[in-house]
This record gives sequence, structure tokens and C-alpha cells, in this order.
Amino acid sequence: MTQTDMLSSDQEDLRLLRESARTLFERAGGSGRARKLRDAGGGWDSDMIGELAGAGVFGVTVPEANGGLGMGLAAGGVIAEEVGRVIAPEPVVLTIGLSLGLLRRLRPDHPKMEQLINGETTLAVAWQERGPGGAPADATCRYVDGKLTGSKAWVVGAAGSHGFLVVAGGHNGLALVLTEATADGLSVDKRVQADGSSLGELSFSGTPAEQLAEGSAVQDALAEAISDATALAAAELVGLSDRAFEITLDYIKAREQFDKPIGSFQVIQHRAVDLNVMLEVAQACVLEVLAQMDCETVPKIRARLASRAKARAVTAAKKITRDAIQLHGAVGYTDEFDIGLYLNRALVLSAWLGDDVYHRRIWLDAREEEGAAQ
Amino acid sequence: MTDWNAMSDAEFRKEVHQFFETEYPEELRHLPHRPKFAEIEHWHRKLHTKGWVAPAWPAEYGGMGLNAAKLLIFYEEQQRGGVNRGRDMGVQMVGPLIIKFGTQKQKDYWLPRILSCEDIWCQGYSEPGAGSDLANLRTRAEFDGDDFVINGQKIWTTMAHDATHIFMLVRTDPNAPKKQQGISFLLAPMDQPGVDVRTITTLSGETEFCEVFFDNARTPRENLVGELNKGWSMAKALLSFERIFIGSPGLAQNALGQLESFARGRGAFDDPVFRDRFAQAALDVEDHAALYARFADQLRRGETLGADVSMLKIWVTECLQRITELMIEAAGPDGGTVGPLQVGNVSVDVLASFYKARPTTIYGGSNEIQRNILSKAVLGLPD
Repeated sequence: MTQTDMLSSDQEDLRLLRESARTLFERAGGSGRARKLRDAGGGWDSDMIGELAGAGVFGVTVPEANGGLGMGLAAGGVIAEEVGRVIAPEPVVLTIGLSLGLLRRLRPDHPKMEQLINGETTLAVAWQERGPGGAPADATCRYVDGKLTGSKAWVVGAAGSHGFLVVAGGHNGLALVLTEATADGLSVDKRVQADGSSLGELSFSGTPAEQLAEGSAVQDALAEAISDATALAAAELVGLSDRAFEITLDYIKAREQFDKPIGSFQVIQHRAVDLNVMLEVAQACVLEVLAQMDCETVPKIRARLASRAKARAVTAAKKITRDAIQLHGAVGYTDEFDIGLYLNRALVLSAWLGDDVYHRRIWLDAREEEGAAQ
Repeated sequence: MTDWNAMSDAEFRKEVHQFFETEYPEELRHLPHRPKFAEIEHWHRKLHTKGWVAPAWPAEYGGMGLNAAKLLIFYEEQQRGGVNRGRDMGVQMVGPLIIKFGTQKQKDYWLPRILSCEDIWCQGYSEPGAGSDLANLRTRAEFDGDDFVINGQKIWTTMAHDATHIFMLVRTDPNAPKKQQGISFLLAPMDQPGVDVRTITTLSGETEFCEVFFDNARTPRENLVGELNKGWSMAKALLSFERIFIGSPGLAQNALGQLESFARGRGAFDDPVFRDRFAQAALDVEDHAALYARFADQLRRGETLGADVSMLKIWVTECLQRITELMIEAAGPDGGTVGPLQVGNVSVDVLASFYKARPTTIYGGSNEIQRNILSKAVLGLPD
């Protein structure tokens, strides 16, 4: 097989994966499903989790030896884009990037691996804390003698998860521990997000938990999992932007004022072109980054690549969803039109794991550090 | 005769890189102005001996016969090395037109003279009333015996004051029903009493643009290329490759490199505001390159490019302008100073870079025209 043949067979696999994910979501009701779930209180659909698991979605980047598809981040990105297109609230990037990202690196033998891949369980990851830095290195949440004490902040997916992977300070540096959602001494305070989902603020007071790993391995695996999740969130934002732009394009072709479709006015046309160019640049960037991350082994370089993707995707998604509201006119400001759901989801995904300004800073610091090292 | 297309991309790139690296005169690298022929004649002779004057022409006419993918590599290396394109209007514009639409006699006569630069060409397209609306051109050519007699005016004619010949679009049928009809493609000598060239001084003080006035200038009938009154569609057919070339990342990458070394020397990287704006610009360049690679891959697979390639030009030229604006900001109180600014061992002419970036959003079809094209041809927006 030539290199080109191999490339095209990879491309063909990704195309099929995209097609099956898209069909699955469309059959389930597309973005209309997101609205229903939001109106019902902001959770996700456990049947959908089962269907996604059946399609192999959660294990997409897990090696085949550990029960996954072993397809790499490029494939994860394809799925994340489709999730973004229908603004599905299920914890797809969370599971692929963070929960399984940690477990497959630290404890591929653990029974939770299989349960996550099969969709039997979902685990949120509690790694940040309020306070300076928000990083796990200065974790004040402690794990001592099998029990957790302290608090964790900004926990995505806390409301619907069966349990938590908690990064806490332990006997030997950081520890990764597992606790059930129903464990004693655990309280979850919910903060409602723009898209109807919630972020959890967790407090532990002597909450029993099982240690999965400890030491520098936890720090390293967490950094890698965050890089993966960051790049996948970028892909989700690209899918979201893509669909938001499509909806807007259809709207300006149909909406008439002054006896003409508003899309015939040059000022509208040029704005639409600018959004389209921004979208294409974001798509090209994120695709390139995911492919490069699959070939790159140095964690710092992978982190720099992930920052590049998220910086671009957030920039594009913010601009596209906000301009989309303007191009819809007054109806864009109503809850009745779906375009607002996209704006709201973009707000949440942009803030998660760092926004564009944050990632540009990280990216430039990393670039300078690499330059100085050469 | 080497079959360059049979080489791997990497091999070919290495070969081109090496030639430009070792043979191109150092003092001509990254020239800030467009040189007159005399200034680069020595380099042109070297290229001519090597047989590399016309990378895109078929080998039978003295070109390298490169396919589109190899051609991109050639130009990428040329840009990267700061190698001046020389006086290439003949090679880029007239030559391909003669090859495609000219008679055997025209090919035999003109093509070797283009390669040797015995004739130096300028392009007579734009007119005072015909810029973005090029088909509105009014310069007339009428038969008089064995000659055409030309009357009218061309403008923005690059380096006309250093050219021996002009290729031009002229109106040969003023009564045609549509303005795109009745236009012909003519070749004419500049050295004659009816042709008057005046240079235009630009904002940067350069005089590379000219106005060319025709007052009963003459050119033999045999200098008509292609069919009479069919010049418009012929000229348009030539633009397809130019559209990806004009959107290639080279210029912006070079400018970004200049900005970075200049701003580091100035201590601008200590300022968090500058840092963010630099990171934006750098990512704009890097992510553009990812999109450019997608189009270049299309060429590599032998596909033709669609109208969507216009987006490369919009993005990269506007990005280039932001980079040169950042250079001025990094210069602080020196931001209005003419000439090179020295920082450590780096010398950067911030104003020259700034001025050079301005016309990029105007030439080759202004960015507004490109947006019109995209909105119709790609987004399908209505009239």
C-alpha cells in the first residue's frame, strides 16, 4: 500500500464514522432534542448514552486491547464535531477526553473502564479548585486514610454522573481517587449554565473514596487528558459553528425585507462570507491539530497544539454565534429559534477548559519556551 | 531534459531550495522595491542558463513543465528565500496566453524573446474607469491598413517605464451588446511616438506604477492574439492558478518573522497586550497555512480549484496588514520614521512593510470583489 492509499483508507474510516454519528443524532431529533432536555431540567438522555456506547463512541481513542476502537484523536474529533452540530448535552468529550483519558493512562485494568466504554456509567472529573491558579498542584482538597475532605469547583457533568474521579492531595503528591455520587459526606451544589446544563461545586467531609493512582503519574496523565479534552472541545465548537452558520445562511436566503431576501444585500453577503472564511480556517486548523496530536508524543507540544485549536475554535464560535443572532434580527433574540441554543452552548464550551485569550497566552508561552530550548 | 514532476515533492523542494540558496545574489534577497531589469539582469542570465525562467511553461517551449503541485513548491521556495520574481509579466501572463491561443508564428517569435528578456513586458489592463469593473475598459483599437491604431489610457501599469512591450486588453467593437464582448488581446511596442509613459508616485515614495497614454499608437495586425473580440474570456482563463498563488502564506510568514525579531529587540513582548495581539497574528498565519495546505492538496490530487480558493487571499492579505500595523505599534515613537530602524543586529523598515501591505487587498481583484464572488459562487446568496 502506498502512503496515499493508507491516508485515503483512514479518511474513508473517518467519513463512515462521521456518517453513522450524524445519522444517529439526526434520527434522535437533532437540535430539537437539546431543547427538550433543557426544558426538562438540563440533564442528558441515558438511552442516548447507551446508543452512543453501542456505536463505539466513548471508546474511540481507547486502545483495542483495552476494549476501545483505538482510532486516535482525529476520530474523536469527528464525533465531537457531530455532537456540536446538534448541541447534544451528553458528556461525550468529557468521557472520551477526561474520564477515559485519565483511566486509560493510569488504570486501564480498572472495571470502570469497561463500564464507561459500555455507557453503563458516567464519571465526572473534579480536578479544579477555586482560589489562586485553580490548578490541581496546589490542591487543598485532601485524601487521607481512604477519605476525602475539602472542595472542588467547576465540575462539568456533576449533575448526571454516577461518580467522580477526584484529583486530591495525598500521601505521595497528587492522588486520583474514585467516589460514588451517593457517597456519605458528599454534597453537590449546582450552578446553572447558559445552555441549561450545570457545573458542580463539590464539598467532601470525610467522604469514602478508592485510590486509583498517585504521584507524578497523576499529574502527567491529567495534563495529557486535559490536552485531549481541550482539542476535542475545539472540535465540538467547530461542529457547533458549522451548523450555526448553516442555519443562518438558510435564514438570510429565506427572510424577505424590502421585497427581497436579505441575503441579496451586499452588507449581509460580506458578513456571511467573513463568517464562512472564519469557519473554514477553524475547521482546517482543528483537523490539522488533531492529526498532529495523534503523531506527537511530547506532552508539552501536544498541549501547545491543543491550545492552538481551542484558541481558534473559540474565536470562530464566538464570532459566528453572535453574528448569527444579528443576522436573524429580532427573532434571533427569542428563545423560539434554535440559533439561540447555539449561542448559549458556545458560551459554555468557550469557558470550559480555557477560552481564546487564555489559550493564546499558553500557546505563546509554550512557543517561546520551545524556541529558547532549541 | 529533467522530468521534475517525476521527483518526490521533498526531492524537488530540496533541489529548488539549494539552487536559490547557493546561486541567488545575497544583496538582492528580500528586496524592498521592485527592481528595474538592469538591477537583476545578472540573476536572470543565471536562471536562463539553468532553464528555470518559466517554471509553468511546457518543456517544448523552454519551460520546466511543472504541474500545479510542483509549481507551488517552486514559488514557496522562491518566497522563502526572498528571491525576486524578476520582470516576470512576460513569463506569467503573455507567454501562457500565446502558448494557449497564439499562432505558430507568434510562438516562434515571441516565446524565446520572453525567456531571454530581450523583450520586457508590462500589463495594460486597468484604466481610470475600469479597475474592479475591468470590462468597462475604453481604450480603442481600430484597423488602419495592416495596423491597429490605439487610442486611450491605461493606469497602474506596473513598471511600464522599464518595459519594451505592453500586452493589453482593448475595445475593438464598441457596439457589442455586452461590455465583456468586443474586447481583444493585443501586443504593442512601447518605443514609438504615440506612447507616453508617466510614473505615479505611491504613498511609499516608489514609482513602480505608471500611466500609459496612447495617441494614435500603432501595432501590426499580426500582434492580435487569439480571435478578434474574444479577449475577455481568454484573459479570464489565465487567472485560475494565480488565485491560489495570491493567497499563499509566504508574504505573511515573512512579515511575521520580521515583526517578531523587531518586537523582541524593542522589548514589546514584555507587554501583555502586545503579547496577545502577536499571538493572534501568529495563529492567524499558522491556521491560514492549514487551510492553504488543504487547497494545495487538491492541486496535488490533480483536482481543479473552485471559487472558494478566494478565501485564502482575503484572509492572508488582511492578516498581513494587521502584522505590519503591529510593527508600527512596536516601533512606538519611531512608528512614523522613514527608512530602516536598527534594533540590535536586526534592521526593519516598518513603514516600507506597512505600505507594501496596503495594495494587497486591492490588487488581483479587491477583497470586496472576492467577497462578492464567494457570496454568489460558494454561499449561493441571491442577487
